[in-house]
Amino acid sequence: MTTRSTRPIPLILLLLLWAVPARAQTFPAFDPERIFMLGDADLDGRLSLDEYKDFLRSSTRMRNSADGIEPLFRRLDANQDGFLSLGEYRRSFPARRGGDSVISDLEDWIKGGAPDPRTGGISVDNLTTSKTNLAKVRDFWSFRPPVITDPPHVNATNWPRGDIDRFLIAALESRGMSPVADASRQRLLRRVTFDLIGLPPTPEELDAFLTDESPNAFATVVDRLLASPRFGERWARHWLDVARYAESSGKTNFAYPQAWRYRDWTINSFNIDKPYDQFVREQIAGDLLPASDDCQRADQIIATGFLAIGSKAHDAENRGQFVLDVVDEQIEATTRAFLGLTVACARCHDHKMDPISQRDYYALSGIFRSTQTCSGTLAGVFPNFNASPLVELPADAKLPSATPALSTEQRAMMEGRLAALIKDRDSIPPDEGNRDRVRRANSMISTLRLRLLIDRPGNLPRTFAMGVQERDEAINSPLYVRGELDQPGATVPRGLGQLLGEHQPESIMNGSGRHELADWLASPSNPLTARVIVNRVWQHLFGRGLVSTPDNFGAAGATPSHPALLDSLAVDFMNNGWSIKQLIRKIVLSRAYGLDSTHDPHNFESDPDNTLVWRMSKRRLDAEVLRDTLLSVGGQLETTPPVGSAVARVGEGLAFFVRVEGLDTSDHHRSIYLPVIRDQVLESLALFDFADPSLVTGERNSTSGPAQALYFMNGPLVIRQSNALAERIISASGDNTQRVDLVYQLALARAPTIAEKDRAATFLAEFGSRVKHADPTGDAWSAFCQALLASAEFRYLD
Amino acid sequence: MPTQLLNRRDLLKRTSTGFGYLAFAGLSTVAAGASRKDSPLSPRAPHFQARAKRVIFLCMAGAPSHVDTFDYKPELSSANGKTSSRPGRIPGAKLMGSPWKFQQHGEGGLWISELFPQIAKHADELCVINSMHTDLPAHPEACLMLHTGSSQFIRPSLGAWTLYGLGCETDNLPGFIAIKPTGRNGGTQNYGSAFLPSACQATRIGSEGQPIAQARIGNIVNPRLDNPTQRMQLDLVQAMNRDIIERERVHPGVEGVIESYELAFRMQDKLPGVMYMSRESPVSKELYGLDDPTTADFGRQCLLARRMIESGVRFVEVSHGDWDQHRGMKAGHARNAKAVDRPIAGLLTDLRSRGLLDDTLVVWGGEFGRTPHGQNDDGRDHNNKGFTFWLAGGGVLPGFVYGQTDELGYEAVDNPMHIHDLHATILHILGLDHQRLTYRYAGRDMRLTDISGTVHNSILM
Repeated sequence: MTTRSTRPIPLILLLLLWAVPARAQTFPAFDPERIFMLGDADLDGRLSLDEYKDFLRSSTRMRNSADGIEPLFRRLDANQDGFLSLGEYRRSFPARRGGDSVISDLEDWIKGGAPDPRTGGISVDNLTTSKTNLAKVRDFWSFRPPVITDPPHVNATNWPRGDIDRFLIAALESRGMSPVADASRQRLLRRVTFDLIGLPPTPEELDAFLTDESPNAFATVVDRLLASPRFGERWARHWLDVARYAESSGKTNFAYPQAWRYRDWTINSFNIDKPYDQFVREQIAGDLLPASDDCQRADQIIATGFLAIGSKAHDAENRGQFVLDVVDEQIEATTRAFLGLTVACARCHDHKMDPISQRDYYALSGIFRSTQTCSGTLAGVFPNFNASPLVELPADAKLPSATPALSTEQRAMMEGRLAALIKDRDSIPPDEGNRDRVRRANSMISTLRLRLLIDRPGNLPRTFAMGVQERDEAINSPLYVRGELDQPGATVPRGLGQLLGEHQPESIMNGSGRHELADWLASPSNPLTARVIVNRVWQHLFGRGLVSTPDNFGAAGATPSHPALLDSLAVDFMNNGWSIKQLIRKIVLSRAYGLDSTHDPHNFESDPDNTLVWRMSKRRLDAEVLRDTLLSVGGQLETTPPVGSAVARVGEGLAFFVRVEGLDTSDHHRSIYLPVIRDQVLESLALFDFADPSLVTGERNSTSGPAQALYFMNGPLVIRQSNALAERIISASGDNTQRVDLVYQLALARAPTIAEKDRAATFLAEFGSRVKHADPTGDAWSAFCQALLASAEFRYLD
Repeated sequence: MPTQLLNRRDLLKRTSTGFGYLAFAGLSTVAAGASRKDSPLSPRAPHFQARAKRVIFLCMAGAPSHVDTFDYKPELSSANGKTSSRPGRIPGAKLMGSPWKFQQHGEGGLWISELFPQIAKHADELCVINSMHTDLPAHPEACLMLHTGSSQFIRPSLGAWTLYGLGCETDNLPGFIAIKPTGRNGGTQNYGSAFLPSACQATRIGSEGQPIAQARIGNIVNPRLDNPTQRMQLDLVQAMNRDIIERERVHPGVEGVIESYELAFRMQDKLPGVMYMSRESPVSKELYGLDDPTTADFGRQCLLARRMIESGVRFVEVSHGDWDQHRGMKAGHARNAKAVDRPIAGLLTDLRSRGLLDDTLVVWGGEFGRTPHGQNDDGRDHNNKGFTFWLAGGGVLPGFVYGQTDELGYEAVDNPMHIHDLHATILHILGLDHQRLTYRYAGRDMRLTDISGTVHNSILM
């Protein structure tokens, strides 16, 4: 404690000073058990067995190191169990009180091999592999293969429409509950249209469905929606949340102007109903898969963008650390997205609850370290110390470019400018004071060079994608003690390790092993992959997964509410060629999906979260759906997909920091095409719980707050669309009653009640008398339309 | 089901016709009372007796040099021009004594450089920590570390955790406000809520590079309707929303929407008032330096922070950049210091005279410090191993210096205080135990301090 204070030490401080020796007396001489309150399932922050192993490994080295005991204490300090740090030890045990002897006791204990006080001495060697509980943990539900069970017997035999319903109602019946009534056709149409394509039904579609008396009326609607190109735009966005899709690096925020190709690949994959196993395989190893032509080859390369678009610290000065961090991000994204497992914590220690050892982590790490991640960005641009190439796409694929070809004049002008820049740069005296000037010049030179490189006179511009490639030489990664770069341990053969089982090949002899990893992820024998995606789909249709933690199927996640249903759906999904559209069709045609969302006091008391699906859960529309719907009701939604994105249109050579304010976001394309800049999510999306684009997000928040209210009360887009909607209904009819009918249909997909018609008339009259304005009709209707758009009903799905 | 909700529902039924503004105003109070229990922003008791209730964080983005401001290093001046033994990334770098003179100030005799003549007059309010350290010497990582306790993962910010722990004291304003935050180095993450309820994130006012006088909160003004007319429109919206509650009986989402409109309507009314500073007395404006173009912008931010705090906002972050002088430090640091010195001194004076300083914690500092060796003749590089923060008010020892760096200022050697420790200590001052303030996410009980953090009791009264 240092003080230069010359005034009297406050009383409280004196008390503190006294308190130190007083506290010292309460600590006995060193006792290892005080530090290692060990226990395997121990999650309270004390050292677990795994941490103890790490500790032993490092203490072995420490015994011989010049640093002596201090680092050990620093380590223990990190545990914050109320155990003493070295400084506190020294203060608490001044030499005269025997503090030094405590420290020498500890030193002796370490010199003696630091035996585990629980067992009286496990040696380091016995702890190097983590086989202890593996068999037991592998018996966990999600690590066993899914199996089809016969649907249970149900009492209400007339209720179920299929097996999904049988599983659900059996669970309800066993708790003395019964489902609520079916939803009205109007509600059902609005629900399924938003769920499948993310847009409201038109008045014509509503009318057609309400008057279609055939028993297949609903199936007809579902098939129409599944075939719509809007379907892919809706469902791709769900996947992009999971794939932490963005068009910039985060932190220093270098632009990723090629990321949009992965976005479009995802949209297309959902639209063509690419089998999910193929969808998985392409994202991990598309570059290694056979392709029948250049189009397919390009498509599969773009798919590997999944591995390249994660957030990165391009300014990291330690290249080795950067590589490990990228690999870590890839492992985290891959395992959470496809397996619903958090493997990344095994970077530093064996997983505390799931059968994933640190060794398994570094086996996977070897696969990704043998893979080159091609994220682009330019090396000459400060402070980018970690640029990488992009993957060039085959020219014969004739893919569009967001950058137009250069004219001869433009090309000549750019070449001239480049030459001038180089000359100018080379004339700058090379001293420290001119570093910034040189940096700026180099940035411009790199950008121009790239722009010229992309362009091919007389031909389509060259096209590039973010993605991955095999490295020339595959390597195995050492196991880094506690994940620290400066503490490499034994080398682990790259491969799948013992992940979830022992049946995979332990190591890979040729190549990175990504192909093997992809095959294993997409294999019907993988117990997790099908379950995880089936659960994601279910969640988007019911508002809650059968497993309520969609990104965590491990022991720390939730257990399934209907395990047999989940298994049946998963097996059925695989048997049906991994078809997402078939899976969705099957679910939405169930009776359960068509339930009303009304409250029921009895059911609510037993199951307030609607875990058992006694009704349809009420859901708030997603951020993109809200914006798209605002544009759509105003008749201004542009449904033709754009080429590229605002980031790409700024320039394929764009290599500088990107700011969302500098981008053109005023067009009226669907929201999935808006630029996604990390740390700068657009307001209209961020306000309504858009997923953080740096995180794997299986489930978004659903919040309401004053900022959302202000957006609907005063936001320019809402006001513009209110005006557009008002113009639309005014021009559609001269009759006020018909206008009210139409606006209710457009905004809320239903007809107004008599009370609502009266209220509308009162509002329009009162508003008209209050506001003296050039266009009282238009203003009143616009204010009325805005009120409908601002209503909770507009925002919620029943 | 809580009986209050039933009462509220009865009330809704009784008032379902002729639903005017006054009726709703009364109702919404009941509504707030009924459901604020579940709201992430409802006020909550701290874990133990708090020393401060609110925080003003004066974030000096870009990293001011500690050896030129609050960490007096006569040995560095003596060694001026000698080759540094720890040159970092500048081979052959020479040590550089501070170009500014230091003097002792106040009864505590705190050494403060001539960069801060006005703050120096408040030396006896300051608790200077000269032993700060952080993990990485790069702006984005260190900035995120300072704000969220993690440079690697997306984590909630200090302000979000504070709001999550203590809730909000006002019904009319957001609980966490970031004034002109940086859009770089992690951007919104620095004041975001990550996995915490999104209501815990900061409401941003203004942005970097824009004069605060021009700053507006997003969508706070309706461009076409006057207040009573908009109320009429809002009554129609709320009547529709109320229909849903009547029909559905239980619908927390719609109840949330109803509440949010009432809070928004009040904010619309209240917030411009808080931001409208014209009625501040000339004395007050002078105190914050609004009369001088060099101090006016930051002065306005500080004055705004005081007005927010006074109106019940829990956590206000005020930012000033850019302190990142790798070159041109003499001019750059002088310019920055001049811009903030009088406003900060004015803020301290004002908080003290209004009795607010006793339970408001003022925090000053940047993401790291700067190297004792020079760079480009007139600049310093990044130094994460030792730098300065100071705290004032809120139960910290006044006129006190804690910890120290080595004789040159490279590394914290005495009572080193990591960012995690600073966070733990700030939460402690607010009555929150950093080990108990947790949120379950990804299967773990997450906290601001991860698995680290030590409360440095020695700086507390």
